[in-house]
Amino acid sequence: MTNAVASDLVESAEQVVAAQGVAKSFSGGSVIALQDANFTVKQGSFVSLVGPSGCGKSTLLRLIAGLIEPTQGHIEVHQTQVKRARQDVAMMFQRATLLEWRTAIENVLLPTEIRRTPSSEDKNRAMELLNLVGLGDFAFSFPAQLSGGMQQRVALARLLQTGADILLLDEPFGALDEFTREKLNLELLRIVSEVKATTIFVTHNISEAIFLADEVYVMTPRPGQIAKIVPVNLQRPRELSVQTSAEFNELVAQVRETLGAL
Amino acid sequence: MSNTIDIDKNSTAIKSRGSALNINRVLKHATIFIVLVLAWEIGSRIGWLDPLFFPKPTDILASIFRIYVTQGNVWFHLYASLGLVFAGFIAGSVLGVVLGSLVGFSAVIRRFIKPYVIVLEATPRIAVAPLLIALLGFGAASKIAIIMLVCFFAPFINTLSGVINVNEEKLELFESLGASKFQIFTKLVLPDAIPVIMAGERLALTAALSGVLVAEFIQRDQGIGSLILTYTRNLNMASAFACIFTLTLIGFLIFRGMEWLDNRIAFWNHDDGMTRVGSRSKQRWLKQHGEPQ
Repeated sequence: MTNAVASDLVESAEQVVAAQGVAKSFSGGSVIALQDANFTVKQGSFVSLVGPSGCGKSTLLRLIAGLIEPTQGHIEVHQTQVKRARQDVAMMFQRATLLEWRTAIENVLLPTEIRRTPSSEDKNRAMELLNLVGLGDFAFSFPAQLSGGMQQRVALARLLQTGADILLLDEPFGALDEFTREKLNLELLRIVSEVKATTIFVTHNISEAIFLADEVYVMTPRPGQIAKIVPVNLQRPRELSVQTSAEFNELVAQVRETLGAL
Repeated sequence: MSNTIDIDKNSTAIKSRGSALNINRVLKHATIFIVLVLAWEIGSRIGWLDPLFFPKPTDILASIFRIYVTQGNVWFHLYASLGLVFAGFIAGSVLGVVLGSLVGFSAVIRRFIKPYVIVLEATPRIAVAPLLIALLGFGAASKIAIIMLVCFFAPFINTLSGVINVNEEKLELFESLGASKFQIFTKLVLPDAIPVIMAGERLALTAALSGVLVAEFIQRDQGIGSLILTYTRNLNMASAFACIFTLTLIGFLIFRGMEWLDNRIAFWNHDDGMTRVGSRSKQRWLKQHGEPQ
């Protein structure tokens, strides 16, 4: 685990998210959702948070997003403390949470609309992003006319439309079937490397966590904490077949061991 | 009412597949209808049905012709009643939606207003009608007030519940995007509540039609309600039936009109609505930005 204080200057320049002694409790301290989280995320890296329900994964994500405040410690994004929702951080949820009364492209434009009146460039950018997620032909369809997988693609385009360089994904494809999820995971890897974003991805699927990530934060419940950080040095770009390699299985075993120890 | 609509939808679906089946269906319906009317006519003529209370269908038809054409007196009353219905409906339901939004927007107001809402909801609104007449006197004002009263609650309650029950995830999305309270209200809460509000409006308009009748039964000066009352008091049941069938037709048209409106306003709940709005929005885009790559 890299400590923010001990790290040298060169390294801290490329650290985009840093947490020190972060803890979060609810109901006046009686429920500890997360305790003593310390980590730094390097620019452009992909971090997976994996663990069972109640391990504080989503809490950690919401803390980084500035949706909730830590009870102890502090979180920095781009060397400034997170106090509220910010423009360089954007979040995607398990459900697409699209607005049913807006077409796909109008949904993608929502983040822009909240900041300003969308310009012609903003609209062209939204169309480009829809093409990037493979939905160019469905720009003027409404969410109810799209499948679950397509809805998540729109949500992904909306996430990118924010222009944020730190993307927080809370089990984004968890509600989809296995095949759609694998396909979208591959596309996600292609897209985040294309836009050079730093990604923090929450999942409870161990293989998925390893397949996507440069680093897997293994989290354990009661109280929620980061039990271990497992570096993943598999080659990129990755194919689905990497999941059958010995190296991959070794990593799975390592994660399982940490989770099973409790 | 909803049954009629379903049957109708089926029949249009069948029509697109083959008109032979449709004609068959129409024939069956027509046969049943004619048999029923004939039974009524014969029953009334030979004295199985009391002709005083169940006038012959031919007499009703003659009355319809008289009140609409030869005497033509129904138009004046119809005009008076419908004017009141729309005035009262618009005033009452707009008030309901506005107050519902306000109450829904503020948790503090909601907490204080809730017990009164429960008490008022439990009270039959019509019971207050005589008091409103005492307060506002005879005339259009008290009639509109009665209609407003019966029109207010459904839109109010529906708007309130629509505004309160916002999807938590969507709310979180807006917060993560740094949206202001006002933006959350106009871009999320209100549009999200529109289908529920429309359902309230539909109930309100139906209530308005009953409301105007009650108002006109109480103060019998003009309007279709007064006309029915006058005719029944004069034992002119055929003409009373003619008026009632007029109301049936109006009720049906109102129902259809609200359906049409719902399709326009809450278009995302209708397949054809989405297709229509989607293609229009595509046309607009093409005009402004050209062909998307």
